[in-house]
Amino acid sequence: MPVALLDFSLYHLILAYLGSGALLAALIMAGFAALLSFWAGWVENLVMIQVGRRAFYAAAALVVCASVVLEAGLLTHDFSLAYVANHTDLATPMPLVAAAFYGGQEGSLLYWTLVLGLLGSASLVASASLGPRLAAYAAAVLASIATFFLVVLVLVASPFDLLFVTPPDGLGLNPVLRDGGMLIHPPVVLAGFASFAIPFSFAAAALLANRADAGWIAHTRRYALVAWSLQSAGLLLGMWWAYHVLGWGGYWGWDPVENVALMPWLATTAYLHSSQVQERRGRLRAWNFGLVILAFLLVVFGTFIVRSGVVPSVHTFAISAIGPWFFAFLGVCLVFALVLLGLRAGGLKSAGRPAAAVSREGAFVLQNMLLIGAVAVVLWGTVLPLVSGLFGQERVVGESYYDRAAGPLFVLILGLMAAGPLLPWRRAGRTSLRALRWPLVAAAVMAALMMIAGVRSLPALLAIPLALAAAVTCVVEFGRAIAKGRLAPIISRRRRYGAYLAHIGLVVVVVGVAASHFWQQEKDVTLTPGQQVSIGGYQLTYAGMEQRQLADHSELVAAMRFGDRTLEPARATYAGLGGQSLTHVAISTTATADVYVIFAGANSDGSASFRILVNPMVSWIWAGGIVIILGVVLGNVGQRRAAPVPVLTAAPQAAPS
Amino acid sequence: MSAVLKWGAVMVVVAGCVGYLIYSASGGASEYYLTVSELRSHPVYDQDVRVAGVVQGDVLHPSTPAGFGPLTQFSEKDSTATIQVVYRGPLPDIFQPGLTVVAEGRLGADGVFRARQVLVKCPSRFSTSPYTT
Repeated sequence: MPVALLDFSLYHLILAYLGSGALLAALIMAGFAALLSFWAGWVENLVMIQVGRRAFYAAAALVVCASVVLEAGLLTHDFSLAYVANHTDLATPMPLVAAAFYGGQEGSLLYWTLVLGLLGSASLVASASLGPRLAAYAAAVLASIATFFLVVLVLVASPFDLLFVTPPDGLGLNPVLRDGGMLIHPPVVLAGFASFAIPFSFAAAALLANRADAGWIAHTRRYALVAWSLQSAGLLLGMWWAYHVLGWGGYWGWDPVENVALMPWLATTAYLHSSQVQERRGRLRAWNFGLVILAFLLVVFGTFIVRSGVVPSVHTFAISAIGPWFFAFLGVCLVFALVLLGLRAGGLKSAGRPAAAVSREGAFVLQNMLLIGAVAVVLWGTVLPLVSGLFGQERVVGESYYDRAAGPLFVLILGLMAAGPLLPWRRAGRTSLRALRWPLVAAAVMAALMMIAGVRSLPALLAIPLALAAAVTCVVEFGRAIAKGRLAPIISRRRRYGAYLAHIGLVVVVVGVAASHFWQQEKDVTLTPGQQVSIGGYQLTYAGMEQRQLADHSELVAAMRFGDRTLEPARATYAGLGGQSLTHVAISTTATADVYVIFAGANSDGSASFRILVNPMVSWIWAGGIVIILGVVLGNVGQRRAAPVPVLTAAPQAAPS
Repeated sequence: MSAVLKWGAVMVVVAGCVGYLIYSASGGASEYYLTVSELRSHPVYDQDVRVAGVVQGDVLHPSTPAGFGPLTQFSEKDSTATIQVVYRGPLPDIFQPGLTVVAEGRLGADGVFRARQVLVKCPSRFSTSPYTT
């Protein structure tokens, strides 16, 4: 076909070729960096180790170029690019056009690679202090992961494919995604996933280099914290989005997509705690390697589940050719990790005596086992359709499974959150056990008050008092520090007190989750104008509805009087998208409860149907999330990196050895 | 050495408890995930199931008695069988004929499926019918 017949202006060609050229060059550089770094680490050739590292930087720079090109294509509405035409249109607001970079399959993979390249480069810059061999292997593992993603980007899911005919306008973004949440939720989740590759790479490198010390942990502590914070924020933003935008009344549905984001978070949480045991006490070496590897494998597994559609989900997956690639990658990572752990197991014997049962490290070990147990529960619930499908009729589990199986584990973890921080390292004596009386008293008083108030549900009577006890524990710790020397000890040991602040934030989240879980009320009603409905002590009056015409959609808005406010739940219809409708829920938020109104539809007789929910204390979840992030940030601002040798004296209660 | 054994024992106990929790919880709480023809050929009346099928063009919203939610009747079909579904409550936004939905509920003796929940599975997460290269 003669080129003149095709709608290819020079600009289109330049963008597409520049983008795919940058990706191809990045692939070559990353592959080169991987091979060279492995070899150079093996023979300890210092010059070649540096060359390998720089090749990784070059690959990262090329991925940045490709990302800039894709963003340029999006912002200039270059619909000759299939990716641009499929995910944006001329009417899409500019911030969302820019966000389409990570809104689709191919772009989100490029974004993953971009985060990997940038954070990976940052982690390699100061890696020479860990010794040339470990640094080289870390670069090699990072480059191998980047190579995999670039292979997929170049061969299977390129964001720079050209359309034969350039359409005048694109398809646009699904209305569900046209929301401010779209600007932050996906990039945070994806960055959280991508950033955990860094602790994994350094752990694998330490195993390859046969180094059992905690150097890799100290070096990647920041990245593990960044990954954990991003994963936490990503989960909470996803919950916020589901609650406010998707409008089904809840924020968590135990859907596979949610589960695969929760599992790495649980494993990373376990690692953040157990890594301290190794840093301070030289213990749990093999366990820490195992946890980091598990967390990374769960990330890859999650990506595979989300992108392949092998498990039935409410979330809808772009079923694409990349599923088998991720499955193969998961297999390679699993075999690599198991072989590596198996070969090095002998060298991972811990220094020092094992932990006493009642001690800080004992609490950490138990907490780790419970968190991994929770991962097992969620994993089983996620893969049950697959496993049962192999052996007969496909089965699925719902919310009650997670309540019954994971609930007890979470309650025990809350108990450890209350006790653990008050226990000293090594072994708890009688005096230190006395510190436990405050959280115990608080929990007992809370439980008694709830009994008096008429609460008879055992899970609620356990969860909320234990959450209070965990908060009291942190307050006691802050109180002790302030009694010792006002704010000075808190600032100088901010890593520790930041963690307690994060604990308090998590407790606030837990209280919000527990209250909305145990005491949610729901009512389906059909009302004529003027009619009143009462739910959970709240009175709502339906006032009528009206049709509104907006730029690209029309809205049927119902007015619901609630006190002196008017709630306006609505149903929007997008004529341009085949009449797709979108529910806008109306939420009235207070500190104690949300009144949540879903407009289900108008009836022919002039009445309207609603689902009304009262969700107690949901706003606590969002507030607690902010406190968690604040705790992590404040605890690590300006903190010098911990020395790669375990500093026993840094533990305030540690007895001199 | 005895401490190592002790921790090993703790691990075994925790693993045992988690195993028991998973076993006991998944026994009671799991539901069959069926296609319409599977449910038609082996009807399950006494427990909740999820049934997946394509929504047909006969979606009805009969006028609803006050005090209840909106009622929807539709039929779900796969390659060989059809089933009538009745559902009360707000439908998913993108619910329409031609889409695959998963209805969660119970089959009545009259052969009508009473759904507690209707979930839509749509073919793609980010776009409806993308341009292909």
